[in-house]
Amino acid sequence: MNKIIIGEHIVKSFGEGDEKHKVLDGVSAEINEGEFVAVMGPSGSGKSTLMFALSGMDSVDGGKVVFDGKNLSGLGEKELSDIRRTKMGFVFQQPTMLKNLNILDNIILPSVRDNRKNTTTISAKAKTLMKRVGIADLENRDITQVSGGQLQRAGICRALMNSPKILFGDEPTGALNSKSAHEIMDIFSEINAEGTAIMLVTHDANVAARTERIMFMRDGAILSEMKLSKFDGKDWDSRVEKVTMKMREIGI
Amino acid sequence: MYNRIIRNDMLKSKLITLTTVIFVAAAAMLVSLAAILVVNLSGALDNLMTQAKTPHFMQMHSGEIDRERLAAFSKENSNVDDYQVVEFLNIDGTQINLGNNSLAHSVQDNGLSIQNDKFDYLLDLKGDIIKVTDGEIYVPVTYMKDNTTKVGDKALISGKEFTVAGFLRDSTMNSSLSASKRFLVSNHDFAELKDHGSMEYLIEFRLNDYSAIGEFETAYASEGLEANGPTVTYTLFKTMNAISDGMMIAVILLVSVLVVVIALMSIRFTLLAKIEDDYREIGVMKAIGLRLSDIKKIYLAKYAVIAAVGSILGIILSFIFKGILLENIRLFMGESEKSSLGLIFGIFGILLVFLVIILYVNRVLKRFKKISAAEAIRFGISQEKTVYAKRFNLNRNKLFNTNIFLGIKDVLTRKKLYVTSLVVLVISAFIIIVPQNLYNTISSKGFIQYMGIGNYDLRIQTNNADQTEEIVQTIDSDNDVSKYTVMTTKTFKVKTSNGSEENIKVELGDHSLFPIAYSEGRAPARDDEIALSDINASEMSKKVGDIITLVIDGKEKALTVTGLYSDVTNGGKTAKGVFNDNSASIIWTIVCVELSDESLVDSKVLTYSNEFDFAKASDIDEFVSQTLGSTISSVEMASYASIAIALAIMVLVTLLFMKMLVAKDKYSIAVMKSLGFTNSDVTVQYVSRSVFVLLVGIILGTLLANTLGEMLAGVVISSFGASTFSFTINPLSAYLFSPLLMICAVLIATLIGTSGAGKIKISENIKE
Ligand SMILES: Nc1ncnc2c1ncn2[C@@H]1O[C@H](COP(=O)(O)OP(=O)(O)OP(=O)(O)O)[C@@H](O)[C@H]1O
Ligand SMILES: [Mg+2]
Repeated sequence: MNKIIIGEHIVKSFGEGDEKHKVLDGVSAEINEGEFVAVMGPSGSGKSTLMFALSGMDSVDGGKVVFDGKNLSGLGEKELSDIRRTKMGFVFQQPTMLKNLNILDNIILPSVRDNRKNTTTISAKAKTLMKRVGIADLENRDITQVSGGQLQRAGICRALMNSPKILFGDEPTGALNSKSAHEIMDIFSEINAEGTAIMLVTHDANVAARTERIMFMRDGAILSEMKLSKFDGKDWDSRVEKVTMKMREIGI
Repeated sequence: MYNRIIRNDMLKSKLITLTTVIFVAAAAMLVSLAAILVVNLSGALDNLMTQAKTPHFMQMHSGEIDRERLAAFSKENSNVDDYQVVEFLNIDGTQINLGNNSLAHSVQDNGLSIQNDKFDYLLDLKGDIIKVTDGEIYVPVTYMKDNTTKVGDKALISGKEFTVAGFLRDSTMNSSLSASKRFLVSNHDFAELKDHGSMEYLIEFRLNDYSAIGEFETAYASEGLEANGPTVTYTLFKTMNAISDGMMIAVILLVSVLVVVIALMSIRFTLLAKIEDDYREIGVMKAIGLRLSDIKKIYLAKYAVIAAVGSILGIILSFIFKGILLENIRLFMGESEKSSLGLIFGIFGILLVFLVIILYVNRVLKRFKKISAAEAIRFGISQEKTVYAKRFNLNRNKLFNTNIFLGIKDVLTRKKLYVTSLVVLVISAFIIIVPQNLYNTISSKGFIQYMGIGNYDLRIQTNNADQTEEIVQTIDSDNDVSKYTVMTTKTFKVKTSNGSEENIKVELGDHSLFPIAYSEGRAPARDDEIALSDINASEMSKKVGDIITLVIDGKEKALTVTGLYSDVTNGGKTAKGVFNDNSASIIWTIVCVELSDESLVDSKVLTYSNEFDFAKASDIDEFVSQTLGSTISSVEMASYASIAIALAIMVLVTLLFMKMLVAKDKYSIAVMKSLGFTNSDVTVQYVSRSVFVLLVGIILGTLLANTLGEMLAGVVISSFGASTFSFTINPLSAYLFSPLLMICAVLIATLIGTSGAGKIKISENIKE
C-alpha cells in the first residue's frame, strides 16, 4: 500500500524563551492512499497542529513530512501552495469563505486560478458537485444568505474541485446538528469510496466510527491507534460502541 | 474615563494615528498661514500706501506740459485735495551702473526723481520718508531683491558718481508689473543730470473722496489736459502691489483646501475601517441595549484628541514658516501694524479646521444607526453590498487573471472604503498636473499673446514720432528681418454712456501680422471697427458687436467692437484699430520685428539700441522674463514642490491604506493561502486593487485638472489681465511621465504596505 503522507518525529513548538512549549513532541503518523482516518483527543492536545504540519500549511521545528513522495520541508512557499491547491482539500469547522464572492465563485476560486479559460467547464463541475451535496440552487447566493450546514457543504465542494489526493477535515461537523452532521459524513464516505484519502479531526464518536483507523492524541503525542474495518453500512452500533469504549479507556 | 480606551486605541494604530495627525497639522498650518498672510499683506499694503500717500490718480505724460492750466484745473475741481507734477528723468539703461552691474538689459524704464514734498513719498526700508543728500542715491528695492547692488556700492549714472545710500519703497512703482522704476537723488544732483535723459512727468492728484474717481477721470479727460502716457488709479496701484503675494496666498489657500479634504479622507477611511472592525461589538452593544451615543462619544473623543494635537502642531509650524513667506511682503511693503490681528485670524482658521473635523467625524458616525444588531452578531460583517459588484462574477470571468479579478472585485464591493483613497489620489493627480500645466502654459512662447503682445522677436519703441521713419528705413533694409510692422498709439476722445467724453488710447496699424489672443471676437479688419482691452470694455460696459463713438478731428465716428483682448501693458486700458488718422498726435510708436534667425535677437537689440538712442529696443523674451520671470520661476518651483508633495501624500496614504487593509483582511488572506494561493498571488491582488483605484484616480484627476484646474488657473492668470485661458499641455509629461511617476510611487507603496501579507500564518488565523 502506498503512503500518501509520512510524518516522522514531528516536533512543533510555540512561543519564545520561557514561554516556549512543545505542542507536537516527536509525533510520527502515516496515511495510506485512499485511507479514511480520524484523529481524536482532548482539546489542546495538538490535533489541529498535527493537521497543519502534515498538510504543509505550517512549518515544523523537527522531524520531516513526506507528501506523495516529496519532502515538504525542502519546498518553498510557492511549491507548497501548488501542492495544497492541486492535491489537497480542506474543510474546517467554520466555513472559510471569502465574503465578497458568492457561493459558486467561492467554490471555483482555487480551480480558476490556474485555468480561467475553462471557467465554463469548471463552473459546470462545481454545479454537479453542488447538486450532489444538496445545495444545487444556492449558486448565486451570498455566503451570508445560507445556513451553516449549507455553507459547510459548499466548503466540501470547494475542497473537491481539484480532485485532491487527500481531504483534510478539522471538525467539519463540529458546528452542525446531528442530522446535518450525518448527511455530511455520508458525503465523506462516498468521496472516500471513490478513492480520496481523508483525515478528519473530531471529538465525535459517531464521526470517528465512520473511518477505518483512529489516532488518539494527548499532550502532543499519539497515545494509541485503533483499527476498524472499512465502513460498509453494517454494524453501526457496535462500531460506535467500540470507539466510545476506547475514548473512555484513555479518558477523553 | 475614556482616556484609557483612547490611549490604547492610538497605541495600537500608531502609524495611522500619526499620519492623521500629520495631515491635520499640515491643513491647520496652511489655513493659518493663509490667514496670517492675508492680514499682513492687507495691513502692510495699507500702511505703505498711507505712509507714502499714494496718489489717487496719476497721469504719465511725455512732451510739453502746461503747469498753469493743470494748477487751474485742480483749483477749480472741488474734489481735488492736492496736486503735483513729479519729474521723472528717464535714463537709458546703458547709462546706469550699480556696483559692477549695468542695467543695459533692463526692460524697465529706469529714471531719477527727487523726493516729493506733498505726497507720493519714497520711503526707506523702515517706512520713513527718505531725506537724500548730494552724492547719495536710493535704489528701488527690487534691485536689492535680485542682488543687483547693495548699500555702499558706487553707482555711475550718466557719468556722475553716486554712493548707494539705501533702498527705497515706491508705492506706485514697486511691482515688476509696473514698467518704470524711480531712483531717488538730491535736488542738486537731479538738476545736474537733467540733460542726460528724457524728461517725463507724473501728474498726480489726491482727492478728497476717492469714490468720486470716475467723475474726476471724466473731468480730467474732458478738459483735454495732458494725457500722453498711461493713466493709473489708486486701485490699480493697490492691485499691482498685491499681485505676487496675492497669488502666493491664492495657491496656499487652494492647497490648504485640498489638504483639509485629504485630512478628512484619511480620517474617514480609518474610521470606516475601525467601524468595520468593531462591527460585531457595536452590534452586541446595541443588542444588550447600550446607548449608541456612549459608543459614539468614544470615537469622537479620539478624533477630538487627534484634531487638537494636529491643530496645535499646525499653529507651531505656521509660526515657524510665516517668517519665510512674509519676507517678500516685509521687503516691499514693510511691517503691518495689524500683525497681532494676523495671529488671531490664524488661530481662528485653525479652530475652523478643528471644527470641520469634529463635525465630519460626527457625520461619519451617523452610520452607527444603520448597524443591525442581528446581522452584526450573526455574521460579524457589514452587509453593505452593491448590485454592480454582484454581477461581476468569477464564474463569468474569462478575461482577467483570477488575482486581478479578485482585486478589482474587492474594490467594487467595498466602494465606500476605496472611495476615500480614490479622492486622495484624484487630488494628488490634480496637484501634480495643474501646476505643471500652468507652468507649461505661462512659459510657452505663445503665452505672451494672452497679455496683449504679439508673437514677435523684438520691438523698438519711441516717443519721438518724427524719427520713426528713420527706424523703419533701417529695418526695411535689414536682411535679417523677416517681417515687421509699425504700430502707432494715439489718444482720442470717446463718448461715454452719459454723454461725457473720456480719453482712449488706440493702437493703429496692421494687427493681423503679429496676432494676439482675443478673449472674444477677432481683430479689427475694417476702418469702422475697433477692438477693446478687457479693462476698457468692462469700464465702458461694451460687448462684441456694440458700437462706440470716437471723436476724431472734431467729428464723431461710430466704430463696431469686433473683439476683446487682455492687456498688461500701459495700465491695461487700450484699444486696437486699423483706421487712418492724421489729426491726433502720436504718443508713441512701436516697430514690431520678427527676425529670420531667432538667435540674432541679442545682437540686433544691441545694434538698434546704439543706432537709435532716442528709442528703446527690447527683446520680447527678455521683456517676458523680466515682467513675468519671477512669477514663471515661482510657478516652476511650485510645480516641482507640488509633484513632490503629491507623491509623498500618495505614498503615505497608499502605504497606510494597504497596511490597514492587510490587517483587516488577515482572515481572507489566510483562507486564500489555505486554498493554495501563493504570497505573490496575494500581492498581485493587492497591487491590482491599488492600480485599479489609481487608474480611475488618474483619469478623474486629469479630467478635473483640465476643467476645474484650468478654470482656477484662469482666475490666477486673470490677475495679469488675461481673461480667456486654456492650458498649453505638454502631453509627454502630463499624460505619460506624470501617470508613470504616480504608478511607480503607488506600486512601491503597495508592495511595501502589503509585505506583511506574506507573514500571515494560516494556522493562526483559521483556528479550530
Ligand atoms: N499560534 C500558537 N501560539 C501559541 N500556542 C499555540 C498556537 N497554536 C496552538 N497553540 C497551542 O498548542 C496547543 C495545541 O493546539 P491545537 O490547536 O493543535 O489543539 P487541538 O487539539 O486542535 O484542540 P481543539 O480540540 O480545541 O481544537 C494548545 O495548547 C494551544 O494553546
Ligand atoms: Mg483544533
